[in-house]
Amino acid sequence: MTLSFFTDLFSYDFMLRAFAAGIVLGVLAPLIGSIVVVRRLSFIADTLGHFSLVGISASLLLSTLGISILFDEPLFLGLIFSVVGGLLIELFRRSYKNYKEISMVIVISLGTALSAIFFSKAKATGSIYTYLFGSILTVNNYYMYAILATVVLVGALFIFFGKQIISVSFDETSAKFLGINVNIFQLIFMITLSVVVSVMLQSAGVLLISSMMIIPVAAGMKLGWSFRSTLGIAIFFSELSVFSGLWMAYSLKIPSGAAIVSVNIVILLVVALIKKIVQKRQIAKMNKNRI
Amino acid sequence: MNSMYIDIHNLSFAYGHRSVINNLSLSLAPGDYMVVKGKNGSGKTTLIKCLLGINQVKAGMIFYNHQDITNFKKWPLFGYVSQKFEEFNYEYPITVNELLSVYSLKPTNQSQRLKTLDQLGILEIINENINNLSGGQLQRVFIARSMLNNPEVLILDEPTASIDKMNTEYFYRTVNALNAQGITIILITHNDSLDHLNYSHVLTMYQDMTFSFQAREKCDLSEVEML
Repeated sequence: MTLSFFTDLFSYDFMLRAFAAGIVLGVLAPLIGSIVVVRRLSFIADTLGHFSLVGISASLLLSTLGISILFDEPLFLGLIFSVVGGLLIELFRRSYKNYKEISMVIVISLGTALSAIFFSKAKATGSIYTYLFGSILTVNNYYMYAILATVVLVGALFIFFGKQIISVSFDETSAKFLGINVNIFQLIFMITLSVVVSVMLQSAGVLLISSMMIIPVAAGMKLGWSFRSTLGIAIFFSELSVFSGLWMAYSLKIPSGAAIVSVNIVILLVVALIKKIVQKRQIAKMNKNRI
Repeated sequence: MNSMYIDIHNLSFAYGHRSVINNLSLSLAPGDYMVVKGKNGSGKTTLIKCLLGINQVKAGMIFYNHQDITNFKKWPLFGYVSQKFEEFNYEYPITVNELLSVYSLKPTNQSQRLKTLDQLGILEIINENINNLSGGQLQRVFIARSMLNNPEVLILDEPTASIDKMNTEYFYRTVNALNAQGITIILITHNDSLDHLNYSHVLTMYQDMTFSFQAREKCDLSEVEML
């Protein structure tokens, strides 16, 4: 089984594309996820995913009606709607300052309702499964271009504005004293996050995008001793889960997003357990020395 | 060289219908050291939030170097340490050095970071994860952060609330020394005792929204050390 996975990996274009997409997303997801965690916005990726689904379902509906826009590729309209969802969240967040999570509930509800209507009108309810749970093995060339463009966007953002992003995320008030316009930065980050979510949607699925972003970071936080090390560990765990998840998805014929996230959860549990045991031993040793 | 004048004219502020500050006016010259004291609910933190532009001033005016705060852009001239550092997002690991480098305007200025940490007596924790620090150490890290970009004005909101007496005295000495270097200080405290503080002005705020603003001669720094 294992051998056939490796030989097929390099024999079939679709396998190679899935692998390349997975490796890139394996870096991208925890990179953006770590900022999402620091800003305490873990549910935001879920919300954006649901709103992105509106664009995808609308694209399928338009296609059924014989209207072709944006190369007939649902990904692009999904991307636009994800950004719109992000902007809506920011808008609602400013009007419910003390109850910021309300904005996500409004956007997630609107997204779910509209996509359900569009999917049913498009008579495409069968494809919902793919978008909910992800299927990295079906990624096409457009998707690869979208991933490459996203990597360039996120890479540039972190290279040129990494310090500002981190300072705003940890402490908005103090970021102001660096001369940073916090509102503009939040907007830029929200747009970037929306783009990443819509690009991840096909491989991870709406329901599992946030897990791919957050869980490797959660495991990294258990072991990391600095910002850099935590991010490095998170990316390592993320890549490990993408690689083994892909193998599981292909071999066991299960959805790729689900397989990747399952591995992520196992890694998190093992890391948490090992850390607990090590801590207990350390405490026992300290107590023994005291006696 | 510090040239920052602070002028507050007839400032009033309310949260909805609840007035907190009423008609407050005062002026500070560069290098002044103002202690703001008063009981809980007297409007000390509200005043600071107005000074920092977090609360938008609707009645009255605040000027920095004769420039209205609504158009003021030179925020890097300010350093700020908030009440309980509660606005900072903890738990995600970040070392003291990483934190300080993120908040430095000049990224390569490692020697400035080392100097600041040394001045505050916390050089040895430069590579520690901030989540492993004690309250006193953490407080000094945040003071170090506020000093990194050579501010002309340092605003400290009840900075000794979460630290012990020894660290409090050490902290006050540090603030006196910073003021002696020419930095304007605005320090909020709910302590009645102003021992060890070498201030030039004291603003006392009361819960009925009245206030008193008094100036006094600063002591020679060596005398303060003896206190």
